[in-house]
Amino acid sequence: MQTVFVTGMGAISSLGVSVEQTYEALIEKRSGIGKCKQIQTVHTDIPVGEVSLSNDELRALLKVSAEKFSRTTLLGLVAAQEALDSAGVKKDKNLKTAVITGTTVSGLDRSEHFFHHFLLDNRAGDISNLLHHECGTTTQDIADYFGFHDYISTISTACSSSANAIALGSRLIAAGVVDRVLCGGEDALSNFTINGFNSMKILDRELCRPFDKTRSGLNIGEGAAFLVLESKKVAEEREKEPIARLSGWGNRCDAYHQTASSPEGRGPLQAMKEALTRAGITPQDIGYINVHGTGTPNNDITEARALITLFGEKVPPFSSTKLYTGHTLGAAGAIESVISLLSMQHNTLFPTFNFRQAIEEAQLKPITSVTKVENIKHLLTNSFGFGGNDTSLIFSKE
Amino acid sequence: MRKLMDTLKQEIIEEMHLEDMEIEDIEDEMPLFVEGLGLDSIDALSMIVILEKKHGVKLENPDEGKDIMHSVKTLAEYITQQQA
Repeated sequence: MQTVFVTGMGAISSLGVSVEQTYEALIEKRSGIGKCKQIQTVHTDIPVGEVSLSNDELRALLKVSAEKFSRTTLLGLVAAQEALDSAGVKKDKNLKTAVITGTTVSGLDRSEHFFHHFLLDNRAGDISNLLHHECGTTTQDIADYFGFHDYISTISTACSSSANAIALGSRLIAAGVVDRVLCGGEDALSNFTINGFNSMKILDRELCRPFDKTRSGLNIGEGAAFLVLESKKVAEEREKEPIARLSGWGNRCDAYHQTASSPEGRGPLQAMKEALTRAGITPQDIGYINVHGTGTPNNDITEARALITLFGEKVPPFSSTKLYTGHTLGAAGAIESVISLLSMQHNTLFPTFNFRQAIEEAQLKPITSVTKVENIKHLLTNSFGFGGNDTSLIFSKE
Repeated sequence: MRKLMDTLKQEIIEEMHLEDMEIEDIEDEMPLFVEGLGLDSIDALSMIVILEKKHGVKLENPDEGKDIMHSVKTLAEYITQQQA
């Protein structure tokens, strides 16, 4: 089994267009949640975590022609480019490179643009917009852009999509199938997701309050993040200092309900346990948890129960960072992996700064102020998807 | 007709990402979907876009789609007939 290193990372979200801007927002406790500007919606009272750049501005940043990509792909390309730059890698004929992305909407923004015209007149609308609809299109676009064609795969498991993309990337390297993986995820905001989550009545009209007694829903967001994973061998040969080691992952399904977790958080518990076993460490070794913590009544209580079952009285320092970025759906696992790695690099935990009252039953209190810590050897990040598709990743210092 | 069929083959190879194929690998009357070339429903959407964008032809009746998109030859015949 090959050891898996993280050697590069990139992120774009409502916090900014780079990892550095993301870090600045986090330490300044600056949330990216605000009014929706890029999408025309009747739900003007729903706050969102929107990337501040328009599609034209994103295209200008990437120097690509108009209409070529969906917004989801554009976001993915910005983050993927930063990840590759920070790893210092390009296409290399001698190394097998995989591209794995997680997305839930792919080019749904383009489909909506077409549908608007088509609905009024079934001979109107530019049907080529629909070519962006299938989730694999985004991954193919990104793979084509950078010229990586050795292994291409797309994962769409709702809100655990990109965490699963990172887990699959890790498996491919560990098994020696490929040498290097560009993995992560991307999702743009769309009317479908805003309206859909609104219909489910799980959107908060204020800033979301993860793990708080008064929590009443999530804020939806958009963005993308990517990691470059390499085998230890490849990283050492080119003398690249890794950011961290991807030491464990777990993916379980609690097969309970289409949109709710099992009451006792069975899936989350099993996913965390599996990740710990794979990393070969005990619960006490975990120095920080970036919880899924969406701010919905159902997620936070079931995640809390799973944490208490696993860690007992000694739940490690934890926080949800979804009140900064919003819940970026398919991109969340990757974005929160980057945020967790920033915590590891800077020995700094980013707070759930608006937390006030603990959930009565659980009595768990997240980090509420920017906290310096001595040394985080291992940390865990959770991403749970609808359908009970639950994933935990563990990153470790070398 | 010959030229149109070769153009269609090249467009199919490019749009459907058939990286290892040459136009010689696609026979004029070879079934395109499921059997033969083995294209799928997502490729069918790409095929409709090729017809509209590259040849200015719309599929007027969806029921005829299966017959029209049977092979490169049937596609070329439909395009020629529509453009006439």
